[in-house]
Amino acid sequence: MFGLEYPSIDNLVGWPTYFGDDAFWAMNKIGLISLLAMAIPTAMFLFAKRELVPTGAQNIVESIVEFIDTQVVLPAIGPEGRRYTPLLLSIFLFVFWGNIFEVIPTFHMPANARMANPAILAIIAAGVYIGVGFKYHGFAYLKDTIWPSFVPLALRPLVGLIEFLTVFIIRPFALAVRLFANMLAGHILLVTFGVLCITLWRLDALVVILPFSFTMLVLLTGFEIFVSFLQAFVFALLTAVFIDSSLHPAH
Amino acid sequence: MLSILAADETSGVPENPILPATYELFWGAIAFAILYLLIRYVLLPPVQRVMNDREATIQADLDAADAAKAKMASADSELADQLAGVRAEAASIIEAARGEAEAERERLIGRAEREVTAMQEVTDSELAREREEALSSLRPQVAQLAVGAASRIVNRQISVDDALPVINRQLDNPN
Amino acid sequence: MSVLATIATQALLAADAAEGITAADEQNIAAAAGAGMAYGLAAIGPGIGIGYLVGQAVQAMARQPEAAGTVRTNMFLGIAFTEALALIGFVVFILLKFA
Repeated sequence: MFGLEYPSIDNLVGWPTYFGDDAFWAMNKIGLISLLAMAIPTAMFLFAKRELVPTGAQNIVESIVEFIDTQVVLPAIGPEGRRYTPLLLSIFLFVFWGNIFEVIPTFHMPANARMANPAILAIIAAGVYIGVGFKYHGFAYLKDTIWPSFVPLALRPLVGLIEFLTVFIIRPFALAVRLFANMLAGHILLVTFGVLCITLWRLDALVVILPFSFTMLVLLTGFEIFVSFLQAFVFALLTAVFIDSSLHPAH
Repeated sequence: MLSILAADETSGVPENPILPATYELFWGAIAFAILYLLIRYVLLPPVQRVMNDREATIQADLDAADAAKAKMASADSELADQLAGVRAEAASIIEAARGEAEAERERLIGRAEREVTAMQEVTDSELAREREEALSSLRPQVAQLAVGAASRIVNRQISVDDALPVINRQLDNPN
Repeated sequence: MSVLATIATQALLAADAAEGITAADEQNIAAAAGAGMAYGLAAIGPGIGIGYLVGQAVQAMARQPEAAGTVRTNMFLGIAFTEALALIGFVVFILLKFA
């Protein structure tokens, strides 16, 4: 029928392994993108010269560092949060480069449209902000979370339960799902319009719709570049905000 | 049909598209761990150091500019001070000269006045002496006349020597 | 024109479906319908929420342009929190449709 055949979800996000078929060290496109997301920022930092007047790659690197400093660390935590800059910077870079492969030809797949990387990053973020809470407030952090002394006694069990669920389960889950679902949705959106373009090309009469579909595909590609950046920024910013809420619990 | 989009052979992909595959977790964790450690210990510190250095340099330059500006302002005020000093000195010199001239004038006028006064005094004393002389030269005749007149009136010889003190007193203190 | 194409597709699909429906087909149809419903319903609230949120943020930026940076950061934070609900709906859609 019209040759309209939507690929199955496995075709969209599942990739064959390059080697080591079912072993835990098997490598497929997602693993390759993860390694590239590690290698590209590293190369960028290595190519950056260390001069007083920045040029070339040094400009880019310093802009990124300053962006993390002024847009993530300082608004969310303040000057004392500078010691988390390496973590937030690596989260930002890893997520961004994992995302941006969504629009890079021959890859066309965001690594974060698979649950693996978002889950790892969310677990790390949760570990860091919970660890920060215990480091700076000791056992009181847990006590304040599940038995908050600033709400009326009658509400404490309820608020405590909600707080406990929020801090220890919902926050990391939402962190991972937000990134994963955003990238998966963007990927499916691009695939949908790509499939539509290919299919329309093969249909004699309906080929007149192709320009609209193709325009939409181009616009969405631009939009997905923006989303890639925004999701990396939001992931780093939320991690910073959670760290801040552990450093300064509401009283 | 759409095998050009994605590989048809799906191996090792879990049934559920939500759940992560073990080997993807493995590679993702390794990649992120390496990236974090590199950034934490190797890549970020030099960049931050360069940025801090630059900030310090810019701050130092700004401070130097501020210092130069302050120096200029102080030099300006110093110059103004000097000018004011010079003006005050000139004013004081003029004032001193004026005062000297005034004193000279005072002195000259004073001397003239003194001379005039001295001359007047000399004249006055001469006049007085002459009058005195005249009076003293007249006094014996006046006494003779008065004694003569008085002798006639009282019909008795009165010696001039007896009457002289009274006459002298009368002449020295008229009225 | 694309609307016409969609309608024609639907008609052809209905014709196909009338020929013979198995239990698995029925389950798939129910799952697909539920998936669409889930995502559609999940998008209502966040849609209103993000619209209101961004509107207020733009108003705040217009009133105090000097605070635009802070407002923008907090706007993205709020969007991220609100959007999570829609994204969970999207995940439910994926689970219903494909899992």
